[in-house]
Amino acid sequence: MTTALRDLISNPNTAELELIARYGMQPEDPRRERLFEAFAQTGLPTRRMEAWKWTDFKAALSALDRPASQSASDPLASDDALCFRFSPDGFEYPKDLPEGIHLFVKPEPQALGSAEDVPLGALAAALAGSKTRPGTLMIEVTAADLPRLHFAFGGEGEASFARVTIVVRPGAELSVSESYLGGAGFLSSVFEYSLQGDAKLNRTVYQRGADQETMAATALVQLEGASEYTQTSLAFGAKLARLETRLVHKEAGAKAIMNAAYLVGKGLHADITTHVRHGAPSCITRQMTKGAVLDGGTGVFQGKFHVPRTAGQYTDADMQHKALLLEEGAVVFAKPELEIYADDVECAHGNTCGALDANQLFYMRQRGIPERAARALLTEAFIAEAVETAGDLKDILRDEASNWLAES
Amino acid sequence: MPAYMRTMLKIENLTATVGEEDEAKTIINGLDLEVPAGEVHAIMGPNGAGKSTLSYVLTGRDGYEVTGGSATLNGEDILGMDPEERAAKGLFLSFQYPVEIPGVPVMTFVRAAMNSQRKARGEDEISAPDFIKKSRELGQKLKLDADMLKRPLNVGFSGGEKKRLEIYQMMMLEPKFLILDETDSGLDIDALKTVSDGVNAMRSPDRGMLVITHYQRLLDHIQPDKVHVLAKGRIIATGGPELAHRLEKEGYDGVLGEVA
Ligand SMILES: Nc1ncnc2c1ncn2[C@@H]1O[C@H](COP(=O)(O)OP(=O)(O)OP(=O)(O)O)[C@@H](O)[C@H]1O
Ligand SMILES: [Mg+2]
Repeated sequence: MTTALRDLISNPNTAELELIARYGMQPEDPRRERLFEAFAQTGLPTRRMEAWKWTDFKAALSALDRPASQSASDPLASDDALCFRFSPDGFEYPKDLPEGIHLFVKPEPQALGSAEDVPLGALAAALAGSKTRPGTLMIEVTAADLPRLHFAFGGEGEASFARVTIVVRPGAELSVSESYLGGAGFLSSVFEYSLQGDAKLNRTVYQRGADQETMAATALVQLEGASEYTQTSLAFGAKLARLETRLVHKEAGAKAIMNAAYLVGKGLHADITTHVRHGAPSCITRQMTKGAVLDGGTGVFQGKFHVPRTAGQYTDADMQHKALLLEEGAVVFAKPELEIYADDVECAHGNTCGALDANQLFYMRQRGIPERAARALLTEAFIAEAVETAGDLKDILRDEASNWLAES
Repeated sequence: MPAYMRTMLKIENLTATVGEEDEAKTIINGLDLEVPAGEVHAIMGPNGAGKSTLSYVLTGRDGYEVTGGSATLNGEDILGMDPEERAAKGLFLSFQYPVEIPGVPVMTFVRAAMNSQRKARGEDEISAPDFIKKSRELGQKLKLDADMLKRPLNVGFSGGEKKRLEIYQMMMLEPKFLILDETDSGLDIDALKTVSDGVNAMRSPDRGMLVITHYQRLLDHIQPDKVHVLAKGRIIATGGPELAHRLEKEGYDGVLGEVA
């Protein structure tokens, strides 16, 4: 490894040195270099960076270690879906794909737009693949009525990196799911979704993790034409887990729905971060995030709508975040932000945080429902709205939430 | 001893406070009351007398602290039990202000309540078809249409609809002892009849009822065996149905002035 590389990151910790070493093992490529540099500008994000003030990866990830924990089972796996499996050792993908899905497996990295804004996304793109195996999966979708594409991240190991690019052509429709099941000490993935014309995409993200695992799943979404993007996430947290989405409305008439639920137990941390840029007039964004946190758990919600002066005219956008502190000692940080420069827009946001209602609990107990069950029922009902949008997977997400509530 | 002569609810010299420790206020103040199985007793009393407080103390609401006396249901001390335990023992409160439970449909809620109670009593769960059949029959009796029972409990329901839903739950759960806290308030004339018919259908030799109301009108529909007047945290007068008529005519001042 060259000293030049080492100097890329100031005051690197062991994990960062190990990441630099991994980069040094990658085949040389100018695009990869730019990607890694984008990461190296900041290194592992720390609380000193505004966008990471509640989710400090440098503090949480001191070295790349294999955790004692194993990956969880995958509720979204199904024989009806086309399954792509990622682990710290690489990935497998289905060899037979239906017409309308075209897969390109590229050994060399591709350029990543706005890489500087997503340091862990840039890192994932730089470290995905190796000398002996391909790094980037590119998928082009040209039809509707296709089986769901499922991306499962499991398997045990020190670290796992992945990059997937999906282009949905005009008129095409697709359901995609991503399951992050833990097992790796550190995981970073970056998914790029590009929707064109009146394409439709429904994306579901499921995340589980343990208290020795850190993970970041970054999605970069571009909506062109009157395309429609729906996203539903359910996160249970890890030592640190961050689900970040950066979405750009690029042409008039695009619509995005971005919902998320987080359920966080003791010793875990789940971060839902979104950034939406209304870069074209008359686009719609609907966002609902709901969280429930137990003693010793931490939930983070950061949401931002950016509406530029001319391009963002006639924007219609709504952002809601509601969190339940289920026990004393639960922590939730929330920062909903509207940055609006256009003057003819409808933008709203709401943010609430509180405990379960004592009147409701007493009423339920008076009818014979034990306190624990009453709490679970109220919390499940509270969360349900946020996972409604997951299409065929909504019942699975709701069951997962309900099982978690029953067990905790 | 036949069931109807047995005392079901027995309250002796009960005192209770409401509110946080440092500003706890004594609201129930030396209250005695006995309701035998098979009887319906009415409680009337001025606003703020402690009627709802009594119902919350009996059902175990947080923030209502018993500071003296006792209350037993069928000989068992209920004051030490959790609210859900009391419910499983058959104690039911129809709330003066029923609470909205967002996201939980009426039928889901009642089924959870019924099965929780059954489980606590060591009984089998009700089967889904049996539950649905029973719910449908009661819905028809109480003029609650099927769509209403699929909506989240009490959310967006009118005042009168909420009261009818309380009676629906009561009839589904078949409790042993009922406390109705101003179930008549907010009901139109027809609904009052529907609700009263429901309550009367629940009258039985092994069931007791405490009916809290301000209006004689309800007692025309639900004939009480006894009428008690609660004021300043205790029962200060007890009589037959005629006492309610006198209160209606003379007001509390007239009647209380005399007993006090
Ligand atoms: N949490 C509380 N803190 C302080 N005082 C309370 C609290 N709850 C009730 N009280 C007081 O206790 C008294 C009795 O209230 P309660 O609701 O039992 O009256 P009530 O007899 O049911 O009246 P109404 O006929 O108006 O329903 C009132 O003076 C009320 O203000
Ligand atoms: Mg009252």
